[in-house]
Amino acid sequence: MGAVIKTKKTQTVLMGTLGILVFLAVWQIAVLVTRFGTIFPTPFEVLSGMAKAVVEPIGKTTLLGHVGISLSRVLVGYILSSIAGALVGLVMGASKLGKAVLNPIFNIIKPIPGIAWIPLAILWFGTGNTTIYFIIFVGGFAQMVMNTMAGAENVSQELIGVARVLGLKKNRIFLTIVLPSCVPYIFSGLQVSLSTSWMAVLAAEMITATSGCGWLILSGMQSGNMVNNVMGMISIGIVGLVLASFMRIMERRLCSWKERGQ
Amino acid sequence: MKEKREKQKYRIISVISLAAFILIWELLTDVLHLLPEKKLPSPATIIETFLYKLTNTNPDGSVLGIHILTSLKESILGFCIGVGLGVPLGICMAWFEKFDMFFKPLFDLIKPIPPVGWVPVMLMAFGLGIMSKVTVIVIAAIVPAIINSYSGIKQMNPVHKWVAQTFGASNGQILRTIAIPTAGPMIFAGIRVSLNASWVTLVAAELVASTKGLGYMIQMGRMVGRIDLVFMGVLVIGGFGALFSALLGMAEKKIVKGGR
Amino acid sequence: MERTGAIEKQSMVRLENIKKSFDVSGKSVEVIGGIDLDIEKNEFVVLFGAGQCGKTTLLKMIAGLEDITKGTVYIDGKKSSGFHPGVGMVYQTTSLFPWLTVMGNVEFGPKARGIKKEERRKKAQYYIDLVGLHGFEKHYPVKLSGGMCQRVGIARAYCNDPDIILMDEPFGHLDAQTRYMMEEEVEKIWAKEKRTVIFVTNNIEEALYLADRIIILTECPAVVAKEYRIDLPRPRSMVSEEFLALREEISQLVDIPRESEEKAV
Repeated sequence: MGAVIKTKKTQTVLMGTLGILVFLAVWQIAVLVTRFGTIFPTPFEVLSGMAKAVVEPIGKTTLLGHVGISLSRVLVGYILSSIAGALVGLVMGASKLGKAVLNPIFNIIKPIPGIAWIPLAILWFGTGNTTIYFIIFVGGFAQMVMNTMAGAENVSQELIGVARVLGLKKNRIFLTIVLPSCVPYIFSGLQVSLSTSWMAVLAAEMITATSGCGWLILSGMQSGNMVNNVMGMISIGIVGLVLASFMRIMERRLCSWKERGQ
Repeated sequence: MKEKREKQKYRIISVISLAAFILIWELLTDVLHLLPEKKLPSPATIIETFLYKLTNTNPDGSVLGIHILTSLKESILGFCIGVGLGVPLGICMAWFEKFDMFFKPLFDLIKPIPPVGWVPVMLMAFGLGIMSKVTVIVIAAIVPAIINSYSGIKQMNPVHKWVAQTFGASNGQILRTIAIPTAGPMIFAGIRVSLNASWVTLVAAELVASTKGLGYMIQMGRMVGRIDLVFMGVLVIGGFGALFSALLGMAEKKIVKGGR
Repeated sequence: MERTGAIEKQSMVRLENIKKSFDVSGKSVEVIGGIDLDIEKNEFVVLFGAGQCGKTTLLKMIAGLEDITKGTVYIDGKKSSGFHPGVGMVYQTTSLFPWLTVMGNVEFGPKARGIKKEERRKKAQYYIDLVGLHGFEKHYPVKLSGGMCQRVGIARAYCNDPDIILMDEPFGHLDAQTRYMMEEEVEKIWAKEKRTVIFVTNNIEEALYLADRIIILTECPAVVAKEYRIDLPRPRSMVSEEFLALREEISQLVDIPRESEEKAV
């Protein structure tokens, strides 16, 4: 058995590396042979560009600086939208009246992509950070509301009865029963909304900013410096991956009571 | 009986709430002028703008219908190609181990990049035309399609497979008759996410650079300071988003649930 | 933890002409049609009946989980409506709070009543040990087997110091082997910690093994069909002649298949 697993593992690694190598080779050949070469850098140029950009500033700051700026923007908008979204979702899920009042208005906002708010936000708040925060906020808000609402609506009435028989006061049901039952739902909302937030910050930075990862790839395009562009993409991908893994770890920590196991 | 009456009550509250929302908005803007017209257009103005844009090309060069058609054409084309490639690819990755080993790491590299990030790359590669937008949307649509078809197939109950094998079904038959039907709902959920992503990405792409389309229209509206136009455009974008998910929801009911 | 026995015989639970009807698509359907019952302190009463004849509903009404259409429930001599602090309940399905550990579940009642942490921990530990779950305090319900979950449920009900414990088919979803074990366990705990127990089941053996008194209810609407006082010495053997004779008699009476494992939903 052990040997079988081992050969399978090496096979996976080998095939995976092969896949990436083929991709890089196609990229390299495409740059060398086709008209892509006039605009696209080779993989090697991108790598050396990245190494350089860690120490040398592009525009206002270095590559890491831009990543940091984007992250800090996401953090502000994301925290605000998570709190507001969870609160509104709880109100809509736990109270039928709250849902009746808020749902029609929420249904108008829900299908509007966060990115579509960018022109409006610029007219409202100018081109500063407020606009970017706002875009990230609306990007994650609807997702948070929907998930939290689903959680609050699916609270088991039976468990509320159990708690009441055990002597729980009516006014404490919300904190003791409804909120903990919502935690897994809130968490999946947090996960989805983090990735939409990360997307929203890029779009917002492309349109209205002079720093951050989104600006980096757009300015790369505008100045014809494709190395900056591809570099920006790679850092975006890496940060996206790190954020997603971080959320998964947090979920495992906080929702361990959901996990089945030995 | 009681429940029905309660439902009715809440429905009435909803209608009142929506009416009140619009009424207050109208009061604050057109009637009392508490909020500047430059920051928040009144509902009446938005409707006026909508009607005006149906036949008028000011200030962005095309009537509303043309913008909508352009956006629809680009997003639906990209969506169809993305799903058309993504679903079979996801199924193959889940079914053929070698395929999976080859593509998985590559896919894992591309997956976390938000599709919006590709906009500048594609603009440089293909220029301002439809090609650049469609390519970006293909990328946006393909990722959820792959992820969901992949996990849908992997979900297959092994007992079903064993049953089929004891009846002498070939690998291809098992894939066709068991794995794909099992994955159906999951694949559909993926298609839903894909459609949503296509629409969002399209708007983003048009905002960044284009000459037609709803995203372009609101961007132009902003540049000339016509907030009523921006508002109307945002609502139209939202309206189509809602329409898409409603249509797909209906199709899902027909195909996934009624089909078996 | 021993309770002082009552000197005078007084009914702990008294049901007076309890009726219950539900609205089913506009029509009123009577599920309980006038039940009178006196249950003594520390008595183990089993409500027995086939199918869905409102046994669970009756328990829920005593617990305050269900409105009473007509009639009165007296607990400890006083008229009761709504939740009563002296009533605890063990449920049919897993009713543990999934986000709380075994300890968190067992100490839930005392905590809800505002008892200090140290005191309630000590108490919860006592009952966790009593149901044989020592060492599982920090486990979450999802990691426990069905039988273990029901043990936690029993400990949780006891930890709240109720005078009356209602058990609603607590072992209906367990496999036969675990079920026998749990029945023994319940009897042991009851012998050690005397309480008034009202136990619902549709399993004759379980009823005969546990009960001081078996109340047989009819099908919809439920009324008391017959009462049996079971004076067999405890712990009982399930294969003794008297046991088997009683079992035969009751199964004739209620006319259900012998090995009925049918569960009320």
